[in-house]
Amino acid sequence: MSNGYMRKILRVDLSVGTLNIEPTSEDIAKKYLGGKGYAVYLLYQYLKEYESKGISPADINPLGSENVLIFANGPGTGVPGFPSSGRYHVMALKSPLTGSIGSANSGGEWGPFLKFSGFDAVIVEGVSKKPVYIAIVNGEAELRNASDLWGKNVFDTCRILKKKVGGENTSVACEGPAGENSAHMACIVNDEHRAAGRTGLGAVMGSKKLKAIVVSGSGKVPLAKPDKFKEISKRCLDAMRKNAVTGEGLPTYGTSILINIINTAGGLPYKNWQTGVNPNAEKISGETLAETYLTNRRACWGCTIGCGRVTSVKSGSFQVLSSEGPEYESVGALGSSTGVKELDAVVKANHYCDELGLDSITMGSTIAAAMELNERGYIPKEDLQGLDLKFGNAAALVECIWRTAYKAGFGKYLALGSKKLCEIYGHPELSMSVKGLEMPAYDPRAIKGIGLNYATANRGGCHVTGYTVVPEILGIPEKIDPLKPEGKAKWVKIFQDFTCVVNSTVNCLFTTFALSAKDYAELLSAVTGWNLTENDILRIGERIYNLERVILNKYGFDGKDDTLPRRLLKEAMPEGPAKGHIVELEKMKDEYYRLRGWINGVPTLEKLKELEIEI
Amino acid sequence: MAIVSARIMLFATLRKKYGVKDLNVECDGTLFDLIEKASKILGESFFDDVYDKKQGKVRENIIFMINGRNIKDLEEKIEIKDKDVIAIFPPIAGG
Repeated sequence: MSNGYMRKILRVDLSVGTLNIEPTSEDIAKKYLGGKGYAVYLLYQYLKEYESKGISPADINPLGSENVLIFANGPGTGVPGFPSSGRYHVMALKSPLTGSIGSANSGGEWGPFLKFSGFDAVIVEGVSKKPVYIAIVNGEAELRNASDLWGKNVFDTCRILKKKVGGENTSVACEGPAGENSAHMACIVNDEHRAAGRTGLGAVMGSKKLKAIVVSGSGKVPLAKPDKFKEISKRCLDAMRKNAVTGEGLPTYGTSILINIINTAGGLPYKNWQTGVNPNAEKISGETLAETYLTNRRACWGCTIGCGRVTSVKSGSFQVLSSEGPEYESVGALGSSTGVKELDAVVKANHYCDELGLDSITMGSTIAAAMELNERGYIPKEDLQGLDLKFGNAAALVECIWRTAYKAGFGKYLALGSKKLCEIYGHPELSMSVKGLEMPAYDPRAIKGIGLNYATANRGGCHVTGYTVVPEILGIPEKIDPLKPEGKAKWVKIFQDFTCVVNSTVNCLFTTFALSAKDYAELLSAVTGWNLTENDILRIGERIYNLERVILNKYGFDGKDDTLPRRLLKEAMPEGPAKGHIVELEKMKDEYYRLRGWINGVPTLEKLKELEIEI
Repeated sequence: MAIVSARIMLFATLRKKYGVKDLNVECDGTLFDLIEKASKILGESFFDDVYDKKQGKVRENIIFMINGRNIKDLEEKIEIKDKDVIAIFPPIAGG
């Protein structure tokens, strides 16, 4: 087995209580790297196995014992000097929110510490009868009783288990009350404030009665060419320090600095995407956060950027003693989309999402959808039980969050996510989601390329699948006009493929502001000992994206699902620089499918053969 | 040339450095004059922060928007009109 890997994978069957250690496969690693890629490959094998036993993909219950959860890191994770490599990827065979493949990614310390504990990945099968947690310490793993932790929030769970397991490099990834109660947007949180946020994987963890995975260890990642790696690493880290975005912009202001620029471009969703111009954007901006509640910044393991925000609201109705965030997407969903202009309330709402284990994007978007449903008179009063769900109501925003986590009152509807919520009340068009996943805070009527990405992203309405906001708004590596649909397909494809490489490496997507695919090829070659070129790694990324798409197709998703909410396709942007614009999706999609070698959202057999994907 | 009045808004580190969120600037309608007049109010370093004299254009890494449109995306000749809103951002990112 190559260098860069710990060469072991832990497979846990919670139904029978067994833990088996298996070797990491060099053949799979060479084709799919690690992290997301390796997990996608393994999940596809599960689907094939189930099908051979007569269990169709449609029969898989996302909250049942047949669902599989995979936590995985890659050859770059936890390597000192590998740029921003403090992350891990987590996937599930089926998401309770979308009914398709589940996928999420998180920073902090858990990813590298999993590697130091001796493993490249943890596969979790089955359902435990009683609450348990998995403790992995220096190559040894065991299941432990978590009955006393059941019901505890994320912060308490992280602190208690970190102390109980102790030792060097110890980190906890867990679900909170939202996961235990099967809220469909429940997430997995590690290191108290870092979330593998999307597609409801905290609910999958909760359904398995798995409270947490604790990792701890002092292992070191073996390198193929340490001297060569040192040289390339130095060059890349220098480039990141000198880069205006990774060296100054992100460290100084964090991600919420985007609020004002996206609003200026007319693409900041306001009041459930009724417009892309928020008159109160300044009040919830990164600049305002820096002047008011920001107390410090926090970096993930081994990161030179340090974009994390440490915050505190010292007084008032929304007091928070110490928190982290909110990030741009959280402000966008919990603040702008709900019309809430009080930043302290957004900080509090974000804090509750971390504490209870909820994805802040889906949570905020679902509350915003509920507010529009209510303002249009589509929710019977008795369902709301007095909850004053109006745009801009900060108290209602905060109230909705704990209600969702505990499925209390109207919270039982919110806990289903915006798609099912809007279907229940007869207006599915008001859910701002794609394939059941709520879109992050960029209105594609003002940023066309991100619209094509949302429509074609495998996990649904996701920005980080192919973040074309970078060239369209920020002008990196070159400026392209956000209001033009022409030429966007090639950018979307290359961003989606390259992001698969990043999520399989596994390190931080923000490195790509400063580093190219060629840099990645050189870093990965020095770590693994393989001679990878830029084309090789982009081909790996394309392979991962196509295999993930094959899984989607098995769940019945195809070209009809590669679409956007009606509002973005039919309702012209009412104001701002994108006034009068809709998303010309079909035009962009035709070009995208042609570049992908797909027909109606399905990869052709020729394409799969070309990418050496065995189905 | 007619004199026009535009509103300049500063963001992120530019706002921090010059201590103002926005200011009204009168200029002759050209980009060069707008930035020059603004630097008379904010200080000479503002001109260098935003404009590349050698290249004769706004610095490559500055995001310069007129009424929400990045000047790099504008096909027509750049002209500042009365009541235009100019947003100037240093290199930033997020997501």
